[in-house]
Amino acid sequence: MTPIYLLVTNSFKPTLEIKSIPPSFFFHPTITHYKKALINGEFGNYFINSLIVALTTTLISVVGGAFGAYGLMLTKSRWARIASNSMLIGKSVPAITILIPLYMILNIFRVGGTYLGPILAHSSVNLPFVIWLMLSFAKAIPKELIESAAIDGARRMQTFWKIIFPLLLPAIASAIILSMQYSWNELLFSLQLTSMDSYTLPVGIAKFVGAMSVDWGKSSAAASITMVPIILVGFIMQRYLVSGLTAGAVKE
Amino acid sequence: MNREIKNRSLSLEKGDLLSFLLILPTLLIVLIVMIIPLFYGISISLFRYDIGRTITASDFVGLGNYLRLFKDGTMLKSLTNTVIFAISATAGDLIIGTLIAVLLLKITPKARGLLRALYIMPLLISPIIVGLIWRYMYDPSSGFLYWILSLFGLGIKQFPGMTATSTALLSVIIAHWWQVVPFVIIVVTAGLVSIPNEYYEAAYIDGSGEIRTFFSISLPLLVKVYMVIIIISGVDTIKVFDIIYSLTQGGPANSTMSLSIYAYKNGFEMYQMGYAMAIAVFTMFVSFIIFGIPFIRFGMQSKGQEEA
Repeated sequence: MTPIYLLVTNSFKPTLEIKSIPPSFFFHPTITHYKKALINGEFGNYFINSLIVALTTTLISVVGGAFGAYGLMLTKSRWARIASNSMLIGKSVPAITILIPLYMILNIFRVGGTYLGPILAHSSVNLPFVIWLMLSFAKAIPKELIESAAIDGARRMQTFWKIIFPLLLPAIASAIILSMQYSWNELLFSLQLTSMDSYTLPVGIAKFVGAMSVDWGKSSAAASITMVPIILVGFIMQRYLVSGLTAGAVKE
Repeated sequence: MNREIKNRSLSLEKGDLLSFLLILPTLLIVLIVMIIPLFYGISISLFRYDIGRTITASDFVGLGNYLRLFKDGTMLKSLTNTVIFAISATAGDLIIGTLIAVLLLKITPKARGLLRALYIMPLLISPIIVGLIWRYMYDPSSGFLYWILSLFGLGIKQFPGMTATSTALLSVIIAHWWQVVPFVIIVVTAGLVSIPNEYYEAAYIDGSGEIRTFFSISLPLLVKVYMVIIIISGVDTIKVFDIIYSLTQGGPANSTMSLSIYAYKNGFEMYQMGYAMAIAVFTMFVSFIIFGIPFIRFGMQSKGQEEA
C-alpha cells in the first residue's frame, strides 16, 4: 500500500523533492509531470489505445465466453470435455511461445502494429478462462431448471436468455472485471504487436523504464494515469472481483 | 420422410449442433491465435531463422537450435533463475498468504473488509508498474526501502538489492510477493471461511491447540484451494517477464535473466527467431514439467466430481 501512495504522491512532487530522504509528506504539488506525460509524452493517445483494446477484448471474451460455456453445459459429448480440458492446459503455454510466431504471422498478413494483434492475443487468453469461470459458477444452477424449461417448450436460446443469463450475471460481472484488468495491464503481447499509433499504456511505460536512469516525475505520472482507473473499477466491482478470483477454489 | 430426418439433424433444439455453434467463436480464436502459431513457431525453431535474411532450405538445422540451448551459458543461467523464481515465488505466495489470512481471521469481518480494500490494490495494477514502483523503492540514492533500512542502521552494504548479483533475484521475488500475496490472502480466506465450524469445535473439544488444529484440519482442506492458486497464478511465474523487464532487464550480469526475457532478447533484439523460438518452446516444456502435475490432478478431480 505504502509503495502505491509514494508513487502517486511522487507524481505530484517537483523533481527535486522526489529525491529527498526521508520522503516529504508536505510538498508543493505540481502538475508539470502530468503535462509532460500527456502533452509531450503521448500518454493521452496511449490511454485511448488502451481503452479500445481493453474494452473490445472484454466484449469478445465475455460474450464469447458466456455462449461457449452454455454450449458446454448443453452437451454431454466427449469432445466437449476434451476441448475444455485442453483449453485449461493452454494456460500453461507461455506468452512468449505464442508471441514470436503470432508476430510473424500478423506481419505476413500486414496487420502487425494494429489494434487487431493485442485484441486477438488478449481474447485468446481470456476466453478459455471466462468459460472456466462461467462453468464453475454454473455448477450452482440446478440441471432440473434447464430441463423443465425445455419441457415447457422453451427454445434452447430462450432458456439461455431467460434463465441462464440472469443467473449468471454475477459471473459475467466477474468476467468483465478480470478480463478488463488483464487486458489493461498486459505488457508482453502489446509490446511487440503494437506500433507507434497503437501503443497501450503499459507499453508506453515500458519504453522509458528501459532507459538507464528513470525520470521519476514523468514515469510516476504515467504510472498513475495507468493504474488509477483500473484500481477505481476494481474498487467499484470489488465484490465481483473477489467472487471471480475465488470461484474455482471454493464453489462446488 | 427424408425431409424430417434432414430437419432433425440440422435442428438446434436437439443434439450437439447448437453447442458446437456456441463454442465455435472461442475455438476459432484459440485455433488462430494459439494452435496455428504454436505449430508455426515449432517449425521456425527448426531453422536458422534470422529476420532480414531470405530463408532457404539450407537453413534447416533440425534440432540444432535445441542442442545449442544446452551449450549456451546464459540460457542455462536463465533456466536456473526461472526455476528458482517460480518455486520460491509460488511457495512464498502460499506461505505468506496463508499466514496473513489466518491472522486476519482473528479480526472482525468489518475490519477485514476495510483492510481488503487496501491490500487488493497491488493485484489490480500492471506488473510493469509493480516493477517501476519497486525500482523506486530499491533506488540506492533516494529509495524508500533504504530510508527504512537506514533507520535500523542498515544500508546498501548489508542489502545491495538490485545492484548485486547475489540479491537481485531476491529483490525481484520480493516485488512479486508484494503483488501476488494479496490474491492468495483473498482465496485462502474464502477457503478458510468455507470450512464448517463443527470441525473446529470437534478439534477444540479434543483439546488440540491452535497450531495443531491448523495443520490437522485447515491445511488438508486447503489443498484444493492451493491447486487453484497454482493453476491461476503459479504457472505465470514460469513465464515471468514484465516485472523483470521493468526492474532489472535481466541484469546485473544475467543474475535475473529469465527464459521469457532471454527468448525475447534473442528474438526482438538480435532477430534470431529460430533460436528464440527454441528457447520459447523449451520454456513451455519446463512449464509443463513443473506445473503439469497440478493440472492433471485437477482435471482428474473435476472429472471424478462430475461422475460422482
